[in-house]
Amino acid sequence: MTTITRRKLATVLASTAVAAAQQASPPPATDLVQAARDRMKANAAALSKPDIPMATEPAFQFKA
Amino acid sequence: MAATVPNDVFFAPIPELNARLKAKEFSVEDLVRAFSLRLQQLGPTYNALALSLHQAALKQAKEVDKEFKRERYRGPLQGIPYGVKDLLSYAKLPTTWGAKPYAAQVFDYNAAVIDKIAALGGVLTGKLSMVELAGGGGYRFPSASLTGPGLNPWDKTRWSGGSSSGSAAAVAAGLVPYAIGSETSGSIVTPASFCGVTALRPTYGLVSRYGAMALSWTLDKLGPFAHTAEECGIILQAIAGKDSRDPGSAGKSFYYTPQYARPVKDLKVGYAPSDFAEWVEPATRPAFEAAIAVLKASGIQLVETKLPDFPYGPALATILNGEMGSIFEPLIASGKVDELADPPQIAGLKASLELPAKDYLKAMRMRRLIQEEIAKLFGTVDVLLAPGRAGIAPKIDQPLDRAAAGPAPKDPGFRSIIPMGNLAGLPALVLPCGFAENMPIALQLVGVPYSENTLLAIGREFQSHTDWHKRHPA
Repeated sequence: MTTITRRKLATVLASTAVAAAQQASPPPATDLVQAARDRMKANAAALSKPDIPMATEPAFQFKA
Repeated sequence: MAATVPNDVFFAPIPELNARLKAKEFSVEDLVRAFSLRLQQLGPTYNALALSLHQAALKQAKEVDKEFKRERYRGPLQGIPYGVKDLLSYAKLPTTWGAKPYAAQVFDYNAAVIDKIAALGGVLTGKLSMVELAGGGGYRFPSASLTGPGLNPWDKTRWSGGSSSGSAAAVAAGLVPYAIGSETSGSIVTPASFCGVTALRPTYGLVSRYGAMALSWTLDKLGPFAHTAEECGIILQAIAGKDSRDPGSAGKSFYYTPQYARPVKDLKVGYAPSDFAEWVEPATRPAFEAAIAVLKASGIQLVETKLPDFPYGPALATILNGEMGSIFEPLIASGKVDELADPPQIAGLKASLELPAKDYLKAMRMRRLIQEEIAKLFGTVDVLLAPGRAGIAPKIDQPLDRAAAGPAPKDPGFRSIIPMGNLAGLPALVLPCGFAENMPIALQLVGVPYSENTLLAIGREFQSHTDWHKRHPA
């Protein structure tokens, strides 16, 4: 039979709490920036699909 | 609360309030005090108030009372209180753009729309909350705001929408008779839909943005939130017009002329049945079906239509990233961007600085093609009809990028109508059209540039047969 001392129990609970806190914490900022970069790349890929005639100028001096 | 005005004023339409002021039922000062105190008391309960302008409003109200006494009438907005999104500068008081890094920002001039409304006797009672930087960078949670998540007056556990959160919530709760908000991509349409108020996104360039925070020079627009289509027409007439201080100004005025509007029976309205049958949340479908039936009964010709096939969302996001990155480069470079509330938004702003110029230019060239194809589409229909949003307002603790349950329908319908309409600079009118789970839902009508009177004519017709716009939270 295994005896659980109060000290062991406290250690287990503390490590569980740390693990839970780590799981709940948001992803690191670098991951979020990378995710934003990936979205920009996906947008660029989507924009590459339709053909744009060479003569098409950008919609600068935009007027609706 | 002041007892000098009856409680029915808080949801009364602007023309009625103006008529009651002329009839001397109460004074402008009484009306402004009542609304201003209500905004002060209830605004914070919805996280809708950025800054009360109570004292300045009372001072101005006394001046407007003198004009009424002399029978100097300046139009239907005279003596009517209102609020503005806190991205519009008001001289010598904070303009925060909803963001902590700008919490102490003060300009020494008023935004053009504030001066225009003041010249007509309108009384500004407060600055209204917003999503930080109007959402630039892409926020994940409704809490992305200096004032906390915008709470929906119909259910405070739900979001009021963004980025013009306070403008929509304040009108819905009767804290102001009307408000001015802004849209770059969905920031008028979304909160108006979630809060059950009528709102108008004007044609790009029709309303001066002088004194407004820039998020995207080629996409930003200012527009009104109110209870009725008629009020939106009245407000737009007041705020539209040429302004050489805004490089995007179209140099055009707007006159609200319901008497000259085309009969709605002559109008062809394009729609995608899959929007209402498949894309919207199941609980909303009966209300949307009933709303479409009202339009059909009015004699409006509904015809099935498809949007031209373009990557509207990626094009808009790329243009926004390019312009936003340039505008907020000093904020990002200084490191103060890290003071914003929403980590994904911070990351989006940082990444925007890395957008290749070729991608921005490709999106702007595609935008030209989109404009041309949309112009052809409007050769076959007068107006496009779609749900304002596919569902009711989400809970405030829900991430906004949460995927919808179940597989996506095969027919894209008008899912891209918000980025399409903003890319092409088109006007949109949002009309409350029913309820689902005790929360409001709305339709949006989109027209060709400068077709606001046509959209408003349909809106008036719809609101003459329905009372959704008259309902308000308990």
